Amino acid sequence: MREIMKMVVVLSLISGLSGAVLAWLKDATKNRIEEQVLTYVQGPALEQVFPPHDNNPITDRKRFEVPGAPGESVTIFPALKDGKLAGYAMETYGQGYGGDIGVIVGFDAGKDALTGIGVTTMKETPGLGTNVAKHGFTTQFAGHPLEKLELKSKGGSIDAVSGASYSSTGAITAVQKAVALRDKLKDEIGKTWQ
Amino acid sequence: MSTLWKEFSKGLWNELPPFRLVLGLCPTLAVTKTANNGLGMGLAVIFVLTLSNMLISMVRKIIPAKVRIACFIVIAASLVVAVELLMQAYAYPLYQQLGIFVPLIVVNCIILGRAEAFASRNPVLPSIADGLGMGVGYTASLTFLGALRELFGYGTVFGAPVMWGSFKPFSFMIEAPGAFVCLGVLLAGMNFFSAWQARRKGGPDAVPAVSDCGSCGMCDMARKRG
Repeated sequence: MREIMKMVVVLSLISGLSGAVLAWLKDATKNRIEEQVLTYVQGPALEQVFPPHDNNPITDRKRFEVPGAPGESVTIFPALKDGKLAGYAMETYGQGYGGDIGVIVGFDAGKDALTGIGVTTMKETPGLGTNVAKHGFTTQFAGHPLEKLELKSKGGSIDAVSGASYSSTGAITAVQKAVALRDKLKDEIGKTWQ
Repeated sequence: MSTLWKEFSKGLWNELPPFRLVLGLCPTLAVTKTANNGLGMGLAVIFVLTLSNMLISMVRKIIPAKVRIACFIVIAASLVVAVELLMQAYAYPLYQQLGIFVPLIVVNCIILGRAEAFASRNPVLPSIADGLGMGVGYTASLTFLGALRELFGYGTVFGAPVMWGSFKPFSFMIEAPGAFVCLGVLLAGMNFFSAWQARRKGGPDAVPAVSDCGSCGMCDMARKRG
């Protein structure tokens, strides 16, 4: 009986101590890891969508509450040129063939148009669905007005990647979500960065 | 001091983990596409192995024999998670490269093997020396294997081009089979060298170290304690 007690106590003690140390470490590295993930996962896509700018969109990012949807928030990355807002971007998700496709959608600050899109995360079929991250598909969005953002087969003006209609639809869904969010947040973004 | 050096240096050649003990092969083969990856993986293993040896040696007297493996695993797993978090925070590109193999350090046979065979029976300082030596040997092996594969597979070493201009890389070397071929050739070379050395000394032919798996300690632990 004493032996069992000792086993239980020692093992629980070691596990508890390890848990406490790890919890502290996770908390201590949380901000730093978020920054790193943004730099290495979202960073390249951000550079792809933004017009020339002279700030760091990742350190200048800001979370916005979505009006009319309590508890929902979205992170906006601003691109500033000479202290003025040149464009901004947000990450949204659309259901693709193999799970959510994360898309960074960039908007022009001056007019109602996109500056481009960049894919951050996806689990699409290599060689087929992954082509939505490639040049030919994403370049269609650069400078595209906010209307008719839909596949050609559904009356829009975007060519789907051939053989990958699910993935194309996923990417478009993400873009449409971003446009809807942008409509709600446009004024607030304009107020935050002049 | 000399015993500490002995514990440290045995991991560098005589009991070199991947080539002599042939332990921890999963990451050895999988991540050594480039010298950089091998080095990064090795550094993570040095960290985990040294600290786990130290901690296990510190608590070895209070751990009841029947739950010792569970205790070792908890300690090793916590250290691995710590490495993973620190790597994400300070070396994210390396973390992206090594991916799943960082969490898999916890099931790396070296960690548990050294804990069971050495740290649980020896005082703190020799255990640290043992962990450090094994870790450094492991890192050197992985970096060497990585450099070799990178040299033939990409024509670079640590990302710097070293081959002549018209060199056509063998992409075979950076695929999985290339890893096995490299490892096999290295093992053969090391055994050949050992045998040659033994013959020169006039002694009997050295038994290839590969067939001698006793130093891992996993077999006789069952015999001695169970």
